Amino acid sequence: MAASSFEWPWEYNFPPFFTLQPNLDTREKQLQSWCSLILSYQKHIKSHTLDVVEMQTSSLFYNKSIERKLSLESIYLILDRLEKKGHIEWLDKSKKQCYLMWRTPQEWGNTIYKWAKEAGLVNTVCTFYELTDGDDTAGQEFHGLEPDLLVKALKVLESQGKAEIIEMDESRGVKFF
Amino acid sequence: MRRRGIGMGAIKNKNLAQARFKDKGSELAEDQLNQMSKQLDVFRTHLEDFAAKHKDDIRKDPQFRKHFQEMCATIGVDPLASGKGFWAEMLGVGDFYYELGVQIVEVCLATSHRNGGLMDLEELRQKLLSTRGKRKQEISIDDLMRAIKKLKVLGNGFTVIPVGGRYLVQSVPGELSMDHTAVLQLAEDTGYVSMSMIRDRLKWGEERSHRAVDYMLKEGLAWVDDQAPQEKHFWFPALFSNLDQE
Repeated sequence: MAASSFEWPWEYNFPPFFTLQPNLDTREKQLQSWCSLILSYQKHIKSHTLDVVEMQTSSLFYNKSIERKLSLESIYLILDRLEKKGHIEWLDKSKKQCYLMWRTPQEWGNTIYKWAKEAGLVNTVCTFYELTDGDDTAGQEFHGLEPDLLVKALKVLESQGKAEIIEMDESRGVKFF
Repeated sequence: MRRRGIGMGAIKNKNLAQARFKDKGSELAEDQLNQMSKQLDVFRTHLEDFAAKHKDDIRKDPQFRKHFQEMCATIGVDPLASGKGFWAEMLGVGDFYYELGVQIVEVCLATSHRNGGLMDLEELRQKLLSTRGKRKQEISIDDLMRAIKKLKVLGNGFTVIPVGGRYLVQSVPGELSMDHTAVLQLAEDTGYVSMSMIRDRLKWGEERSHRAVDYMLKEGLAWVDDQAPQEKHFWFPALFSNLDQE
């Protein structure tokens, strides 16, 4: 469905892209390309979770038209790298499913903080609902953001002293500094 | 005695005559030189006239530019020999190629992460045309070759390698031997080579084939594909991107 209109990078049709490259420089380029491909693909299908076993046979890791698929070992190598960059959190110890953020909480935090400052909301309290579903944020990239991810992003801001999460009855809000 | 006297005179006369001949000789040479420089002046004026008249053509029309370059080459003039001087001032021909050179370097650097610094000349031309965009000045393969030749003064970074029907630009230092070029040539149609292809078509032994392919893997020019049906394939991004477009 949505995947059909996704614009694959040139590498996707390049058969050796699906073989882990022995040359370390080339491998580095390859892994980087895979990282950005995974993120943009997930963004395109608007997915926040990734099931490794399930994804093995999805068109992301299996290009049917050239009959090439990425090995499980390579998939894990790429996911580990994404984890180091803060894009992934494993949901189980056996690493079967992960929470995937095509933008890191840090990046989301920056986007939200920038918006709050521009909208003159410093020193005011906003509810979480206002941030993700309010009329004021319509058209913002973080409009409709998953609650979990929102909390992660705001926690980053909190640790930087740019915001404070406030527990209110029934709902939660955030105060920007 | 008398005879001896005559003899002395004769020698003197001979010396005198030789001196006169010499004078006359240098006079003639001077004349010729004058004439030559006059002719050169005339030639120069004509060339200047020609250049001024066709300045726009030279800048805009790659075909014309090529003919102009060829004409200059036949009479032993290299309009690109110096950035300053008459040519650059009159035509901006020098500037044209230097500018192009800089843009070539930019494009090659920007794409080297994907092709290991080996790029199809036609692909390079397409990329340049799209980046130059606005001015819409047509550039030809011939222009690119000349500009790349000029880049040689910066060291051995840029080389044009003929591979069958096309040209590849190599923008990373590192010599490609005849063997490597032969492998590239073999891969021209498909984008890849395999050990059996090399054995059957180039008639090389195991070791020679491996040495050539290993080097190209090491330089980042080739990628391995383990999932091909029978044996490993070695792909070249520089050749693949072109297949992609066709």
